[in-house]
Amino acid sequence: METLLEVKDLKTYFTTRDGIVKAVDGVSFDLHRGETLGVVGESGSGKSVTAMSIMRLIQGPKGKIEGGSIRFRDQDVLAMSEEEVRHLRGDRIAMIFQDPMTSLNPVFRVGDQIAESLIIHKSMKKKAAFQRAVELLDLVGIPKPESRAKDYPHQFSGGMRQRAMIAMALACDPDILIADEPTTALDVTIQAQILELMMELQQRTGSAIIMITHDLGVVADMADRVLVMYAGRHVESGTADEVFYKPLHPYTWGLLDSLPRHDIDEKGELCPIQGQPPSLISVPPGCAFSPRCPYAQPICRTDAPVLRVIEGGHAAACHFAGDPTFQRGVVDCAGVTS
Amino acid sequence: MCILPRIPSQTAPATGLSRTQLGAAMLKYIARRILQMIPVFIGVTILLFVLKAPGILPGDPIRMITGEKEISPVLYETLVKENGLDKPLVQQYFIYLGKLTQGDLGRSYQKDRPVTELFANTYPNTIKLALAAIVVEILIGVGAGIISAIKQYSFWDVLVTLSTSVLVSVPVFWLGMVLQVIFGIEMKKWTGGTFFLPISGMSGNQFPDWVHLILPAVTLASVSTAYAARIMRSQLLEVMGQDYIRTATAKGLRRRDVVFKHALKNALIPVVTFIGLDLGAMMSGAILTETIFNWPGVGLEIYLAIGQRDWPIVMGGVIIVVFAVMIINLLVDISYAFLDPRIRYGGAAE
Repeated sequence: METLLEVKDLKTYFTTRDGIVKAVDGVSFDLHRGETLGVVGESGSGKSVTAMSIMRLIQGPKGKIEGGSIRFRDQDVLAMSEEEVRHLRGDRIAMIFQDPMTSLNPVFRVGDQIAESLIIHKSMKKKAAFQRAVELLDLVGIPKPESRAKDYPHQFSGGMRQRAMIAMALACDPDILIADEPTTALDVTIQAQILELMMELQQRTGSAIIMITHDLGVVADMADRVLVMYAGRHVESGTADEVFYKPLHPYTWGLLDSLPRHDIDEKGELCPIQGQPPSLISVPPGCAFSPRCPYAQPICRTDAPVLRVIEGGHAAACHFAGDPTFQRGVVDCAGVTS
Repeated sequence: MCILPRIPSQTAPATGLSRTQLGAAMLKYIARRILQMIPVFIGVTILLFVLKAPGILPGDPIRMITGEKEISPVLYETLVKENGLDKPLVQQYFIYLGKLTQGDLGRSYQKDRPVTELFANTYPNTIKLALAAIVVEILIGVGAGIISAIKQYSFWDVLVTLSTSVLVSVPVFWLGMVLQVIFGIEMKKWTGGTFFLPISGMSGNQFPDWVHLILPAVTLASVSTAYAARIMRSQLLEVMGQDYIRTATAKGLRRRDVVFKHALKNALIPVVTFIGLDLGAMMSGAILTETIFNWPGVGLEIYLAIGQRDWPIVMGGVIIVVFAVMIINLLVDISYAFLDPRIRYGGAAE
């Protein structure tokens, strides 16, 4: 399978008054044509910053990509000029954002906003681009697309706006679609529709999708492979089956334990992970998860674990991952008991 | 992917009004706004007549006509009658209203000319000055605000921020006189009379008329230009942080298109409000600027008439000004609809 995107040891830091925020600190993954990569983690774990870094949307004096590499089809994205990156954005790599209510410009017609990508990247004439925008709105299931294309965003409901955002992202038939929590701001019935729409469109267009979410259910439904992030770090990655059925990292265990499941008939309550994620300005020494990890050993508090491939493509950043004696315990909510 | 069949859709919320319906709603809105001007006019005229009532404001218009010297009681009575001041105030009011509906604003006591004629001469001067000041506000104020925002924390930004802070606190009469001294007098000395700007009046032999506008317009615009720059800067910075700007960048737009197309149209809405209100204010004449630069506008005219208790000029002037301000405000409100599609007039929410 063709590798579209190769991210290696990505580090994106922000300089703030209180210190340096290591929002993304050593994330690596590959993305192949037509596949869906789920990126999961809590709020503030660096998922969105990873996505923004790929599109070089981290700008200005405060945020900077400090290290690592991003290669798109063997081109070094970080070495590109602003003009070259511009041709990537919206054309080869497109992005759908979390909040459709604020992601569309309120003073331009929806059709024009979709047509804009086609005008800049495909050199289409205004009229033809608008006509294509109407087709795209039809494609994403907007009824009466001819007249709705002339509407303004405030005349659309939340779900329809997200459909319009998807139409905008797909306009130039991108190789990669980055969806940053595309359903978080929508109500549950609409969430399912949007995810279904994305999956259907992916099957037809063959785009690769990076699905950023804190919803493991969404990842389970959609992703071929999963990347788990914690405190800006890459803690585990592998195929969806590996991560869901043979998770290696105690953080992933915790995430799965806090997820309601219907498939196992197990009596018990949901167990949230105790404590709070660390401040990204002062990440604890050693493993960032160690203060919350019920299995933490002295080494975890002193030495940062390196991401290691345990089996096939399944990797984890835990000193004990892959150790046959290191097993996920039965958890009750007071902590781990066995 | 062009020929992909469509995905089953969700149901659409009501679109609201069609475009032609929107046009009709807009016309209805404008008509209603114009009708609403009538009670405002009546209110203004009543207020002005109350000021005329004996004992409210000191001073006797007849005395002002004749000057300080004593006149015979017979002549006094004649003048009172001639100017219709013998009738009860209420009756005077209805006579005035009746004439007003025919476009007659009465005659000036002092100048003995129709008020409409006086203002027909002075109002264009006020409009000329106001428009010139607005041009300064837009070019310099809005321009500086934009530069300041897109080059945040740069030398230019600091310069704009500092100079606008100073400018908003400089009194117009002081600035006007300083400009007169620098550009009219000192500059003439330094350059040996080759380069300087006119400091008084609307026209002269030495300069084309528009040159006479420069100093008064800059003076009149000064404070508002500073405000316009500050509003523009803060609005543009705020809009640049919005999600839809990130969307526009992620789409692959050039930065200048992101700023000048996507951000500016949103950021301009409050700036248009400010400049519109300011234009309205300038339509009522700029007493200080007009006085300093000897600019024969309505502000000066009304101001002098108040001192002379020349009620027809005061009333006529105020009525014209009120009318102009209301028209400008209406135009500003209508302009919103073009800038911001979320604002639709005449709808149910109105």
